[in-house]
Amino acid sequence: MDCSKIEPWLSPYMDSSLSADETRQVELHLKSCRQCAELLEEMQSASALCRSFPTLELEPDFLEKILLRTSGRPRTRSFRERIQKYFLRPLLTPRFAAGAVLATLFLALCINLMMPTLSNAVSFLSPPKMLRLMDSGAQRLYSQGLKVYNKTNELQEEFNFLKNDTLNKMRFFMEKVQVPVEGRKEKKEPVREKSGTPEEQRSHIWLWKA
Amino acid sequence: MLSGEQKLVERCLQGDDAAWEAVVTSHGRRIFNLSYRYTNQKEEAEDLTQEILIRIYQNLKSYRPEAGSFQGWVLRIARNLIIDQYRKNRRYPQTSGGEELETMNLADHKMPNPQRAAEQGEASQFLQGGLQSLSPELKEAVILRDLEGMSYTDISDLLNVPEGTVKSRINRGRLELAKVLLKRRGAKAL
Repeated sequence: MDCSKIEPWLSPYMDSSLSADETRQVELHLKSCRQCAELLEEMQSASALCRSFPTLELEPDFLEKILLRTSGRPRTRSFRERIQKYFLRPLLTPRFAAGAVLATLFLALCINLMMPTLSNAVSFLSPPKMLRLMDSGAQRLYSQGLKVYNKTNELQEEFNFLKNDTLNKMRFFMEKVQVPVEGRKEKKEPVREKSGTPEEQRSHIWLWKA
Repeated sequence: MLSGEQKLVERCLQGDDAAWEAVVTSHGRRIFNLSYRYTNQKEEAEDLTQEILIRIYQNLKSYRPEAGSFQGWVLRIARNLIIDQYRKNRRYPQTSGGEELETMNLADHKMPNPQRAAEQGEASQFLQGGLQSLSPELKEAVILRDLEGMSYTDISDLLNVPEGTVKSRINRGRLELAKVLLKRRGAKAL
């Protein structure tokens, strides 16, 4: 079979859209014609390459440019992009790096001046010192507890004394003063007849008063 | 009942900028790739993409869902502008680029091996060079079928030609491309 007749069938043959008879004819021809076999191979390889052709991505700046030219609104940034824009990018500027270095140095200097040295701090954490510290702490706590207990007892005693004293005073006062009870008729003392001379009467009053 | 894309278009028409951004994000990449495959130049493809998206934004009101899918409508506008650009370029030819593919952003094409990536870039460049030597009709048919993966029916709708013509163009395009590539390979080997 002639190559010029087979060539138009090669693409449908690739797509398996030829009839059984046509497919058989193509296959027979390909066995005998090296040129057509090479052509088919190239077509297949080009087709495979087309399928694996890289898909190009739109650059974010380009996308933004289009949006600004159409709707006038900048594109929505993802959380990651926002973090990069507002946090990471400023962090990576030389100005910020210099500032961070200076701040770290200043902080280190402050710590060095204000805090005990590291070796002291480490020795302070040794087990015997720790135990001693715990022991003295416990003793201080116990003595404080005792003081509080004694103080409480003292206060309790003072309160009891004051309470009893007040009650006694009140009782005494109640005994002295007769409080009139409502509804009870007071007994009238019999009027003494005046007798004797004015001197006698006066002396009587004086005696009564005494 | 409105489909997702139709709802998106409705929202765009009501002035929802987020909806328009979704349209640009979802269709922009395809338009850019299509433009690049036609032009083989990154800057030109970007200019074309921008022009196409502006045209889409301006003509959103004229989209009729009953006339076909939104994607088909978008591709039709893209294709018309690309063809216009091609005609302009034919009148005023520019220096051809095409060496940029390796340096471009191939973000979603995962190639862990740099050597393989370079080989892939070279092979793609080789193919792109072959495509540029085809006639516009054949190149368009091959791009839409083999690179864009469109069905014969969709290509027929887009190009507004019978399906038989589409098949014939694809067959001839593939054959021509293979012959060109074989010739180039032979010349390279010498």
